Amino acid sequence: MLTGLAVIGVARFLQQRQDFEDAIARSYEIEIAARNRLAEDRNPAVARTTIAAQQRDRTELRSDIDGETRDTALLVGAGLIAGLTGAALLFSGLIASMRRPLEELVEASGRLAGGDLTARVKVGGLSETATLGAAFNEMADELQRRAGERDRLDRMRDEFVLTASHELRSPLTSVQGFAELLMLERDQLTPKQADTVEIIIDNTRHLVRLLNDLLDLARSDAGRLTIKPVPTEASTLIADAVRTMRGQTEAGGQVISEEVEDGLPEIVVDPDRIRQVLVNLLTNAHEYCPERASIRVAATRVGAEVKISVTDDGPGIPEEQLAHIFERFTRGDAGLTQRVGGTGLGLAISKSLVELHGGRIGAESEPGQGSSFHMLLPAVG
Amino acid sequence: MPRVLVADDSETILLLLRTRLEMEGYEVVTAADGQEVMDAIHAAGETGAPDLLLLDAMMPRKSGIEALRELRAEGVDTPALIVSAHQDAGDAGSPSELEVSGYVTKPIDFERLFAEIDHLTGG
Repeated sequence: MLTGLAVIGVARFLQQRQDFEDAIARSYEIEIAARNRLAEDRNPAVARTTIAAQQRDRTELRSDIDGETRDTALLVGAGLIAGLTGAALLFSGLIASMRRPLEELVEASGRLAGGDLTARVKVGGLSETATLGAAFNEMADELQRRAGERDRLDRMRDEFVLTASHELRSPLTSVQGFAELLMLERDQLTPKQADTVEIIIDNTRHLVRLLNDLLDLARSDAGRLTIKPVPTEASTLIADAVRTMRGQTEAGGQVISEEVEDGLPEIVVDPDRIRQVLVNLLTNAHEYCPERASIRVAATRVGAEVKISVTDDGPGIPEEQLAHIFERFTRGDAGLTQRVGGTGLGLAISKSLVELHGGRIGAESEPGQGSSFHMLLPAVG
Repeated sequence: MPRVLVADDSETILLLLRTRLEMEGYEVVTAADGQEVMDAIHAAGETGAPDLLLLDAMMPRKSGIEALRELRAEGVDTPALIVSAHQDAGDAGSPSELEVSGYVTKPIDFERLFAEIDHLTGG
């Protein structure tokens, strides 16, 4: 408002200035006319009086306009200062009315990003912040709705995997069981029949492995893969796993050696799960290595952890495959061997299991020289 | 030879278990659900009592777990193995009063099962 006054002041001043210029010009014209009359000596007394009067008038006019200029400058200055102050006040008011809703939005966004889908803001204040707040709440509603829907689908999927696994297991038990029964009477089968039954058994076992792996992964995804860690001798786990594998490796002339460091502390693990990882690593070594390969299982202490490694002198893993080796359905080239019967899920599950123990799993390989897989597991104490 | 009471609601699985166990030399009695398990044990008396129970965890009418709970309440302390389709049947954990001697998962590893039965029946 004061700024408006200043503008009006300036306009009025400009008009007065114009009037002043006109008045001065007119005064000079009158004086010049009087001087001409004086020069011609017509009514010299009147002409002199006129000249003096004009000169006096101009002095007055000048002093008036000077005052006017000062006043206007003062008015404009005051107006400007008042205007700026007003603007600043208005602005700070605006900022204050925006700051609280914005702070609330920032805080709610943080909570939402942190996973608290119930985060909402109070809608109010300026129309802009109110719109922003309403939009935020709408987005949070949608996120929450979708999360609920996703949870429901996740539960359905888990349920489905569990049920499917259960339902498939019974017929698989029969198929495998009766095929094994046939093999018990192998001497009564023709060689071709025996081979056929063996294929049935192999494939049934493969199906069972797939089923178990899918079940593990579904549980892992749902955060339901559970472990029961207890102090365990690494040497016992290794011996168990090697015993499980020996039948298969010996058939191919492969040799498994065990090397456990003396005085190795116990590890805090779920024995069944870490045995599963070890068997998986040994199975991979067995399946990807040629006959007569040597496989070495070693356990050593590394700081507060125990490192268990499975090393083979097989074909090794190319670098580009090694980078993705713990991802699902990543499988090495089976070029060398037809024995590879894995599901492509084993290492992904192994990784989940080892990490669930607070451990780490890794792999190194030199193509042509062999591969080494290791896990670091927490030791007692 | 030890007498084993086998319960499963699938006839095929029962046939498989009976055949394998009998080939191994065990005496086999079968039941199609938990109620039949109870009936068989009540009918058997002292002399015909089984040395081991091999019970499917999930069966209609009465599950292996339910039957075992009732048997334990009656004071029957026959060692029992629970057969389950789930890989981690033991994970859920059964109450300790059921005194389950072990869990067998499907598909059945028969060599391991025979070793377990021999161990539990002192054979």
